Amino acid sequence: MIPCYTVQRNLACIQRTVGGVRWTSSCRPAPLLTASPVRALIDDKISIRGHFLPPRCPVTVCAQMQSDDGDLWEAFAHFNTNSDGTVNLTRDPSVGGSYLGCEPMGLLWGLQPAPGAREGLRQAEKKKVETPYVMLMSLLKGHVSPSERPSTELAAVTAERWYMAPGVRRIEIRQNGVVGTLFLPPGPGPFPAMLDLWGMGGGLVEYRSALFASRGYASFSLAYIGHKDLPGPQNLINVGDPYYKSAFQLLQDHPQVYPDRIGIIGLSFGVYLALRLASHSGIKPSCLICINGPAGSTIKLADADGRTEQTENDQKYWTYDDQGNVSFRAVSLPANLSPESKVKLEHLTCPLMYIVGEDDLSASSVENANLIEETLSAAGKSQLLTRLSYPGAGHLIEPPYTPNSRASLWSVKPQKLVTLWGGHLAPHAAAQEDSWKKILEFMETNLRH
Amino acid sequence: MSMKPLCVKLSVQPSRGLVDEKFTVLVQNLLPGFQLTVHALHQCEDGHSWEAFAHYTTDATGTVNVSQDPSLDGTYSGVEPMGLLWSLRPVPGSKSGLRMRKMNVLTPMVVTISVYQGHQMEGFLDRVSLASVVVERWYMAPGVRRVPITDGKLTATLFLPSGAGPFPGLLDLWGGGGKLVEYRAALLASHGIASMALDYLTPQITKETGKMVDNDYFETAYRVLEQHPQILGSRIAMLGLSFGTSVTLRMAVYSQDVKLSCAVCISGSHVQPIGGSVEQILAYFNGNADKTRFDENNQVIWRDLLLPIPTDPSLKVDMGRLQCPLLLVVGEDDQNWPAHECAMDMKEMMERAGNSHLLTVLSYKNAGHLIEPPFMPFARASTFKTVTNPPTKVMALWGGELVAHSRAQEDAWRKMLVFLRENLYGGMKHGASFSNL
Repeated sequence: MIPCYTVQRNLACIQRTVGGVRWTSSCRPAPLLTASPVRALIDDKISIRGHFLPPRCPVTVCAQMQSDDGDLWEAFAHFNTNSDGTVNLTRDPSVGGSYLGCEPMGLLWGLQPAPGAREGLRQAEKKKVETPYVMLMSLLKGHVSPSERPSTELAAVTAERWYMAPGVRRIEIRQNGVVGTLFLPPGPGPFPAMLDLWGMGGGLVEYRSALFASRGYASFSLAYIGHKDLPGPQNLINVGDPYYKSAFQLLQDHPQVYPDRIGIIGLSFGVYLALRLASHSGIKPSCLICINGPAGSTIKLADADGRTEQTENDQKYWTYDDQGNVSFRAVSLPANLSPESKVKLEHLTCPLMYIVGEDDLSASSVENANLIEETLSAAGKSQLLTRLSYPGAGHLIEPPYTPNSRASLWSVKPQKLVTLWGGHLAPHAAAQEDSWKKILEFMETNLRH
Repeated sequence: MSMKPLCVKLSVQPSRGLVDEKFTVLVQNLLPGFQLTVHALHQCEDGHSWEAFAHYTTDATGTVNVSQDPSLDGTYSGVEPMGLLWSLRPVPGSKSGLRMRKMNVLTPMVVTISVYQGHQMEGFLDRVSLASVVVERWYMAPGVRRVPITDGKLTATLFLPSGAGPFPGLLDLWGGGGKLVEYRAALLASHGIASMALDYLTPQITKETGKMVDNDYFETAYRVLEQHPQILGSRIAMLGLSFGTSVTLRMAVYSQDVKLSCAVCISGSHVQPIGGSVEQILAYFNGNADKTRFDENNQVIWRDLLLPIPTDPSLKVDMGRLQCPLLLVVGEDDQNWPAHECAMDMKEMMERAGNSHLLTVLSYKNAGHLIEPPFMPFARASTFKTVTNPPTKVMALWGGELVAHSRAQEDAWRKMLVFLRENLYGGMKHGASFSNL
């Protein structure tokens, strides 16, 4: 028996429909868009779903995120709801938009600078790691692109993406001349630890360390070039072996760090620093993780300790594409590395994981990986090496579910330069996901067992 | 190869969750057969400390997974994925009669989960743990908006989900303790229902005038929801616990202005003088105060004040006139209200009237009165301050047994969400209609 008032209300709600499909009306609440978990770490997957939609209808799911600098990043994907009026990004393929196919995390790694954004942005490098990225996800009617305003927003949900788990402590270190940021997990410790080294972009990159600490490792991001608290000038490396040793020592001496469970991770020029530290200096890390970097210095050394001198020599190895974008790739070809700086890998005693992006346009990663493999093999130490190689992945292999830039602004003076990193969207995202998982497993094996 | 000390790893996933989400607690990298205690510590808003703990032994891989492995002893036993939360109890030496309620929903509940060596029973705060992590439990999802409401002299807070809407609405009523309690409404908004928590026993207007609110107060609250630009006026529900049930049933059946899509009534009764105001209903209960009993600990049992259930129709809401779906949630060990008996009487009335297809009853053995969102700690009794003038403070016996009550909370909440979603989002001809309208 249908209560009378309900029937009356239905009649009162007659409404023009669009294309014969009743999307919204004053009788029916909006569809629902859910994301789970709504607060997650950067390397956690989230499940995005739309409910209470008409069946077999086109919808667009759109994600928007604002970087710390205020730049807007966007991604969108086109779906057709299934017969029960739902869309589920873990189950359904995108038929258009920022990515194609069934990619549960595609709206995150597929983020691109929104139209009208500043030119040449690198992936949203989060400078303030203590706050989350706020992602606004919306469900739109039809197959549209977000810039087609006005489009009908059917539903929305907000999710937070964090680099830091609750209880992780961020500690600025300016001690014994060492410049860096230490992240400690919650708890009494002691913890296994990582020394975290980035490339010639300089400054202090904290987010990978913050994530390691969120996974139970003390992690120390170390600055070595381009930081105001380091000895100048800022465009040169003015610190040498004693500096890196001090940094490693700092970790070893920390009351909440296991002194004999410390690894080193390096990206780009950071690879050379990690290898040098492990082979030359008497430091004995438990393991090394090297991503897309050279086995020797790309810059002429000024002294035996590894400081560099001002040089434009490496510019002769720069190549340009037809848009005038520069690739630094050839600079790090083994033949072009400064010979006295080539790391004596035969002295390596700890496991080494080398990660290659085969579409790396910034470093000669494949060639350097080959060099490392040959050297270790000749020394009877090939069992130390784990090599991961990812077709279609570029230079910046970073924590997963973050967007990659194929090119970005490198400098404005003396001239505006956009540099090529390489990497194609989907393969690069897959490389980040897989390599991160393997990095954490490698750390587990070598630092906890 | 040197013998390194064991490097235990403790992880809780997710580390930031909504209060009704489950988590997984994993302890790894210990020796097989290692005895350990997992401990949870929470300091609530009024400064009291609560703890829970459980004894485990690692398996052959040196691992404990709280979701899969049995606790051998502690504040809970057996396989209980969320036992560390629902078995939280005040630490030794605490005041008696405490009840945990979060009044500030803008911040999370913070719980420290630790692992200790051995099977410990006490003194956790004096020991050094092997490992410790911090977990946040939130009542509000990101993007949910909290809107204080003072229109129409209401004391209320509205929680709106993310997005433009329109959303279904819900009026959320608590019981005889009064105050503006927001956490359930915040959680419902996190699930897509625009929910308004309403203080109707101790609102500003009562504090100012000394008079209790009339029925038009509730109709005003309903109207605020109905007219809100982001709320669908034709999809509004009411949810009441305890005395809130009395108001909900009266509104659902008798109010000309209130047209509910559905109602949820927890631990309450249909017994009340018909046509009476809030004040008159309370007076009716107080009139039976001589039926108050005390248990062996001098805790107050009020369930008899409404028994036996009257046969006089002027003393019961006429359930045969109800026109919307109703979900009744009752604990069979409720010592505060005779909720189960009332549910059975309501069912019988509706069967006789022919509208029992609208009724669903969830009745839980050994559950007590305070059936709340899941994983919250259980209080079999707690201090209760009446809203009378002057107020009296008693130790009220709510009833229920820890494990059964906690299971009831989890099951009831899940079913409540399904019921609300079906009635507020679904129902009627849902889905595309290729009509010529």
